Amino acid sequence: MIRAASIFLLGTVIVGVFTQWPVYSPLLPGQAQLTLSLAHLAERLEPCQPLSAEEIAALPPNMRVAERCERARAPTRVLLSLGGEPILEAEVQAVGLHRDGRAYLHRVWTVPAGRHELVLQLADSADGSGHVISEAFVIHLESGSNAVLRVGDGAATLANLESSP
Amino acid sequence: MTVSPLRHLGALAIYCFWIALVSGVYLFIFYETSLAGAWASVERLTQDQWFAGGVMRSLHRYASAAAVLLIVVHVIVEILKGHYKGPRWFSWVTGVPLVWIVVVFGISGYWMVWDELAQYIAVSTARLFDSLPVFTDPMSRNFLTNESVSDRFFTLIAFIHLVGLPIILVLGLWFHLLRVRLPRINPPRVQMAMCLGLLTVLSFVEPAVSHGVADLARVPTEMRIDWFYLAVYPLLSETSAGFTWAVVVGGTFLLAALPWLPPRKAPSVAQVHLADCTGCGYCADDCPYGAIDMVQRTDGRNFEMEAQVAADLCVGCGICTGSCPSSSLFRRVEPLTTGIEMPIFTIDRLKTMILDGRRGRRGGSLVVGCEHGVEVGTGLGKDDRAIVLPCIGMLPPAAIDYALKVGGYGGIVVAGCAQDGCYHRFGDIWTIDRIARRRPPMLRERVPRERLRLLWGRKP
Repeated sequence: MIRAASIFLLGTVIVGVFTQWPVYSPLLPGQAQLTLSLAHLAERLEPCQPLSAEEIAALPPNMRVAERCERARAPTRVLLSLGGEPILEAEVQAVGLHRDGRAYLHRVWTVPAGRHELVLQLADSADGSGHVISEAFVIHLESGSNAVLRVGDGAATLANLESSP
Repeated sequence: MTVSPLRHLGALAIYCFWIALVSGVYLFIFYETSLAGAWASVERLTQDQWFAGGVMRSLHRYASAAAVLLIVVHVIVEILKGHYKGPRWFSWVTGVPLVWIVVVFGISGYWMVWDELAQYIAVSTARLFDSLPVFTDPMSRNFLTNESVSDRFFTLIAFIHLVGLPIILVLGLWFHLLRVRLPRINPPRVQMAMCLGLLTVLSFVEPAVSHGVADLARVPTEMRIDWFYLAVYPLLSETSAGFTWAVVVGGTFLLAALPWLPPRKAPSVAQVHLADCTGCGYCADDCPYGAIDMVQRTDGRNFEMEAQVAADLCVGCGICTGSCPSSSLFRRVEPLTTGIEMPIFTIDRLKTMILDGRRGRRGGSLVVGCEHGVEVGTGLGKDDRAIVLPCIGMLPPAAIDYALKVGGYGGIVVAGCAQDGCYHRFGDIWTIDRIARRRPPMLRERVPRERLRLLWGRKP
């Protein structure tokens, strides 16, 4: 009886201790988190071709459209730098079997708390020329804060903190 | 005598599940499945009615953690005993997913509180799944800001935790025990009382409390992690999603593959001798592994049934030999055979060993032990003789009678595994019942009980 009770007591102590100890912290003091969330519908790889009146008339009545578009979209190129140092340079493919969806990217960085300059550049044309988005932010990260940079569909916005564009 | 909790680890884990179920039903009465209400309702339950809801919440958490601890020890004990090999592979393999079902069960429970710990779990889980090339829209986008999280999310988690996973867990348990004959679902009552009592004391001494309410604008720090359920998340934070998946998936497959990894030893399979089988069915009743079926007679003799052994289920314990009424050493057949026996240890060999042990000796005792129980070959007197069987349940009661009456031994010691901890599950129980004349084949009344000793213990 005593042996069984001792085993149960030991088990209870183990349960009591390891349900809350040791304490864990994913960030050290003085660190913050920067999150990039990209969801961008890029340009089509091939521009849409307008259909002539004859071509439109040849289509079934319920499927008549003014132009014919290929489904595939260009990869989205993202460049992100923090304090002048590039932290991301990626080419993100559109999702879907025909590459016809959005390009998604989710990245998280642990950065020191404080003031940072953030520069984002995004290009989505087939030939890689030009930038759809090119923005710079100055962010003030408190220790333990989580700044979110939402990018996509022609806009880049910061969430979860104050920023100076 | 109180049996060690280590003999009832699986049953105790199920019992902890019952505690978590009952306490969880109480908690759900007060729980609000909404973003605004989840944390606040749990907090009200914990603070405003600490004597009821608070204790129930603590019991819910601690019983769940105890279940994981019991499962882990259960797995370790079964590995040490070698109880994962041979015909036991089915129970082993079906037990592996149960571990993850229980872990996911616990994770979903922590998620429901929607405190900082829940936030950490949600964000990390999303990161883990986003690393798989399965989803198009990253799951992490649901946890970018406080506005990204919707009430429907809590309905989903509550459904998973309260309906989906309990059903899957019960089904999983059913599969796990499918090939276990007479499974012990409930631990002894005294152990239930100890378990519930100590968990209740722990609930009062160290009540379970929430972290601060989830705030996706901040990264949770200083988290009191439940390492029984949430250890995978710090691993993810400290390494990468790929490494975490490799550990989780690799570890799971390694555990599941254990029955087929070396060292492997094919068990000896029981053989039926129809000439000695009367189709009584005692062997089928006593087999701890359900390896014997009674089927229609095939040899034309005037018996209805005959025993048939399923080779893939037989572990070669020999308990069937002990249960066969034909296993009487008094029978004058050369060589002696019985209805069902082990080719590696026949009833004729047992008879020979009993008689050979007497040559040139006077008085002395016969000590009959088993391969997994108390050591019987050492510390014997010069006239004593020891026989080690695969399992003590293999000893036919008639062999005790024979050893005393014909063998001329002064006494017999029947030794086996620590009581209620038989390596082959029921060898000790069946032996005790046969000697006490509670289970056939029974030890004859004429056998002087004062010349018979029972000894149960563990191999040192």
